[in-house]
Amino acid sequence: MSKFWIVLKYELKEYLTNKGFVALTLVFAIIGLLGPFAPRVFDLSDFTGVQVVEKSEESSEKKEDKDVYLYIDSIGVISEELLNSLMPEDEWKPAASMEEMKTALEEREAEAGFVVVSPTEYEHYMYNKGMMDHVATVFEQAMKISYRANYCAQHGLDLEEVTEMFDVPLTSREEILNKDTSSNYWYCYFLVIIVFMLVVFYGQMIAVAVTNEKSNRAIEVLVTTTTPNSLLFGKVISGAIAGLVQAGAILGAVLISYRINSEVWGGALDMFLKIPGDVLLTFVFFGMGGYLFFAFLFGAMGALVSKTEDVSKSIGGLMMVIMVVYIFSLAQLTNVEGPIIKVLSFLPFSSYSTMFARIAMGTVAAWEIALSVIILIASIFGAGLLGAKIYRMGTLRYGNPISLSTALKDLKKSE
Amino acid sequence: MKLEVKNIHKNFGEKEVLHGVTFSVESGKALGLLGRNGAGKTTTIRILMDVFHANKGEVLMDGKPFVPSKYQIGYLPEERGLYPKRTVIDQMIYLARLRGIKAKQARENARKWLKRLEIPEYENRKLETLSKGNQQKVQLAATLVADPDIVILDEPFSGLDPVNSQILKEVVNELIADGKLVIFSSHQMSYVEEFCENIVIIHQGTVALEGNLRDIKHEYGQNRLILSAIGLTANELAEKLQKEFADLVQIDKIQKDSVVLELLSGHTRKELLNALAASALEVELFGSYTPSLNDIFVARVGEEGEVTDHE
Repeated sequence: MSKFWIVLKYELKEYLTNKGFVALTLVFAIIGLLGPFAPRVFDLSDFTGVQVVEKSEESSEKKEDKDVYLYIDSIGVISEELLNSLMPEDEWKPAASMEEMKTALEEREAEAGFVVVSPTEYEHYMYNKGMMDHVATVFEQAMKISYRANYCAQHGLDLEEVTEMFDVPLTSREEILNKDTSSNYWYCYFLVIIVFMLVVFYGQMIAVAVTNEKSNRAIEVLVTTTTPNSLLFGKVISGAIAGLVQAGAILGAVLISYRINSEVWGGALDMFLKIPGDVLLTFVFFGMGGYLFFAFLFGAMGALVSKTEDVSKSIGGLMMVIMVVYIFSLAQLTNVEGPIIKVLSFLPFSSYSTMFARIAMGTVAAWEIALSVIILIASIFGAGLLGAKIYRMGTLRYGNPISLSTALKDLKKSE
Repeated sequence: MKLEVKNIHKNFGEKEVLHGVTFSVESGKALGLLGRNGAGKTTTIRILMDVFHANKGEVLMDGKPFVPSKYQIGYLPEERGLYPKRTVIDQMIYLARLRGIKAKQARENARKWLKRLEIPEYENRKLETLSKGNQQKVQLAATLVADPDIVILDEPFSGLDPVNSQILKEVVNELIADGKLVIFSSHQMSYVEEFCENIVIIHQGTVALEGNLRDIKHEYGQNRLILSAIGLTANELAEKLQKEFADLVQIDKIQKDSVVLELLSGHTRKELLNALAASALEVELFGSYTPSLNDIFVARVGEEGEVTDHE
């Protein structure tokens, strides 16, 4: 056990004194810390809805430079006033002819053009069609309002009364007795991506570190001084601690800084960053569990090759499993009560993201959590012991990469 | 301490690579563990170190099963390996700590060995920034950092210049004089001859020769003679001997200016001397031949090709 601590301490020191590791952690933590202060420095009121900083002159000038929209209404259905009232930031102008409208569009003097054909029909002209085009919706709304107004006028009806009757304002009160899936969704999404990145990033680092020890032959001496279990467990757990420190520093900086600045954001990022403490704890527990499970396997895979350039080949299968789990987890986030995510939440290679999502967003019985935890912990030890056996068998075998199936066959034979 | 390896067998899958290797080594005496590449030396060492388990046979220390973890063992592998990007002192302390030495003592030992090997100024340098020779010395210092009772050196002189080789020779001699149990594996026979009282030659997984080096040399040289003649090259002399004295001797080795002969059994030196005197040969040199370890090694395991020297 004491040798495990020596390995752990040495490997951890290597992470924490590595300039790249420290610089990366500091840079991202500082960005994470300063980022949420942005609305205090820059005018982000368009996004946050909160005016903290006075609009700069440049910004005001920019606003004066309005987008122009043209329309032709030869039958007198629509009014310029109505259009401008619906889009006060922009400018609606009538065009004299189709030629004038098309020329303005081609020369980019107008953003779009509309031709009223009848009270219920119009044509829409544009130079390029974008992904998000809301102008047609506004124009349609204006035409509908005009149509209703004309109808009411022709039939002696009071437009306001009719509108009020059809658009009756409702009041409601919402009380959530268990989970708010809609608001939990985005930070679950965010955290699933984070844990996936950690598993892949640190898993690969561990695999490369093991292969490096093999390729620089340090392993020749190490295996004569301590057990493969101490070496692999020390390496993996030090990586886990380093990962926790790094992710904790960066995520902690973002969350704390956002909490300080949440008012100036007007809650715009609450869906990502206002994560309840119990969800964070669940994330840390299951995230670390999943990380450890895969890290042992990454370590074993690293021992099966002798050159770092072969590492990607060796860990390909493992990466595939992680990718499939990742895609399924994200796809199933909108259906946390479904059968697929329920099954995945008990499997050790997927529970780290799916059980966490179920706990955060759905209804999970205590026995389900307990069972998933037991399976995950047992699997971590299983992966650790199997990983250490493969590690021991693979570390002193140089030359061509050893396939996992060959390694398992050889292990079976040796037993 | 007396370490005995008895009838060790080792299989990798279906293939048996050691077929009953037996030898012994005592404290204060170095054993030369020799063999061609792939003969089974490293596998034998790994079994000694408990990295591999033998399929059959046993390793004993003073008559009892050998448990490596109970002894301080310093192992210098042929395939050198330390962490290139870490400092010399850090990794020496790490290896000493893994061998059970307390942190403070580990630092003291590391400094002592770096000083002894004349590289104390490199303790805070990253290994990769040192020359190959100095890296080799750091590796040796790391081998000795726990002040081991058993020292296993696999090709320790590889990559060293003559000055560093001299320092290393002195260190190895000190280890032997200090009563350490030293196993020395090398293809550089001159070093083995210099340090080792006993040798074991492993060939294709079996012991081809084992025993006291002086006795082996004596036995091997008993019927061997060296001969040169005025006016004849070594090749011409060998040709003449094969034609005219084939009933008495056979050619063992043709050297630059002389020929090494082996007396055929039942014949004496006197008979050969008389026969030479009666011939037209003008003998320049006639005497006993003391074989080198290289001669013995090549004679025992070199039939299937040349020995590859690892330099």
